[in-house]
Amino acid sequence: MPVIETKNLTKSFGGKTVLSDFNISVNQGEVFGLLGSNGAGKTTAIDCILGTKKPDSGTVRILGLNPKTERKKLFENVGVQFQELHYQDKITVSELCEMTSALYHNVNDYKRLLLEFGLNEKSKSIVNELSGGQKQKLFVLLALIPKAKVIFLDELTTGLDTKARRDIWNTLKKLKENGLTIFLVSHFMDEVEALCDNICILKQGKIVFSGNVQNAIQSSPYKTLENAYLWYSGEEVTE
Amino acid sequence: MKVFTTLLRTELKLSLRGMDMIIFAICLPVIVMVILGIVYGNNPENLAASFPAVSTIAICAGGVMGLPLVISGYRQNKILKRFKVTPVSPALLLFVQTMIYTIYSVVSLILVYLTASIFFGFRLPGSWLQFIGAFVLVMISMFSIGMLVGGVSPNTKIASIIASILYFPMLIFSGATLPYEVMPTPLQKAADIMPLTQGIKILKAVSLDKPIDNIILSLIIICTIAIVCTALSVKFFKWE
Repeated sequence: MPVIETKNLTKSFGGKTVLSDFNISVNQGEVFGLLGSNGAGKTTAIDCILGTKKPDSGTVRILGLNPKTERKKLFENVGVQFQELHYQDKITVSELCEMTSALYHNVNDYKRLLLEFGLNEKSKSIVNELSGGQKQKLFVLLALIPKAKVIFLDELTTGLDTKARRDIWNTLKKLKENGLTIFLVSHFMDEVEALCDNICILKQGKIVFSGNVQNAIQSSPYKTLENAYLWYSGEEVTE
Repeated sequence: MKVFTTLLRTELKLSLRGMDMIIFAICLPVIVMVILGIVYGNNPENLAASFPAVSTIAICAGGVMGLPLVISGYRQNKILKRFKVTPVSPALLLFVQTMIYTIYSVVSLILVYLTASIFFGFRLPGSWLQFIGAFVLVMISMFSIGMLVGGVSPNTKIASIIASILYFPMLIFSGATLPYEVMPTPLQKAADIMPLTQGIKILKAVSLDKPIDNIILSLIIICTIAIVCTALSVKFFKWE
């Protein structure tokens, strides 16, 4: 049984279709990348998969559960990092971690995660006062607090320096080896190549490519994923 | 239960860090009580009429200022959305917030009572049980207004404008600070349209042990507000 499966997800806003016939299937232990230019429908796709938006038609199953009607049971096993920051003013790093931990039955020790992510010394700092990179790391960390079977990461390394990105990639690779399924949205093709088994490219709400990274390159007239990606998204490729 | 206590503890810490409620729900009522105590020091009846009025200042601050701002802020910062992808319902966060404003209201009530009784010899003529009952009713009613304002305002800016329109006139003219009894009749009539004025009338009647017949209308108004606002906020609440 696939860990994430969508069938014919369709969503429109004000008469404009932003996602149409979105079908994906992600297996356990797989890293799946959702790609597409800004406005291609990635955020809507994530929202419909997680049940924070109701699709006009189509079905979603995560771990065999319906995210809208079986939310409580499902999200015990799902970690989510949203693209934007969602936290209270004046909250400190450790308070945010503690609060997040309290929401789940089975959790990873956040103090260990802070240490692993090099954020230990910042645990008493106000989240708002962290640097962009530190915040970004913290939000990935929050998604790892539940002992999840699948995690969703929306633009996980935006704003991070090279070293920090590599650190996070390594952490994710380790988690993947332990059987974690990872769904990620990314704009960085090096990241996609380093992490993803399968990808799906969205263009104006439609899937224009679905398959593994090698296939994506081979089925295009180009030799790099970045160029292939631009070609699929209908952008001009300038080498 | 662990979720609730952790959320309550953290949110309470955050709220205290904000200081606004300490000033408007804790310090302000005590200061007003001291002033009215000095003014009415030799008149136990006026003092007895002031206590229930002053005890609502914190309810007003929390209900129509604190709650709308925190709820609309949490929606705007997508904290409510974040809770939607956890096993815990964002409604629990709203419940925690109402608990926090309940705590402020009760602490304020206790401090106002201690101030009035220790320094000005105040004794409640009516029944405490009835008073507490009325206090809770007024609180539910005012909090339901705040929940509705916070729940349906499109953003924090609009929420804060509506909150100010509700808060400041009620703080000044409902009798919570400036005694209703000293207002000229036309002003009293105008003040009567404010929900808190009706709430204070109920609290005064029970604390002065007056017959309940005089406040039937106020009771109906307060209960109607509570029911209507709660129903509307449940129906139209915007999570994002």
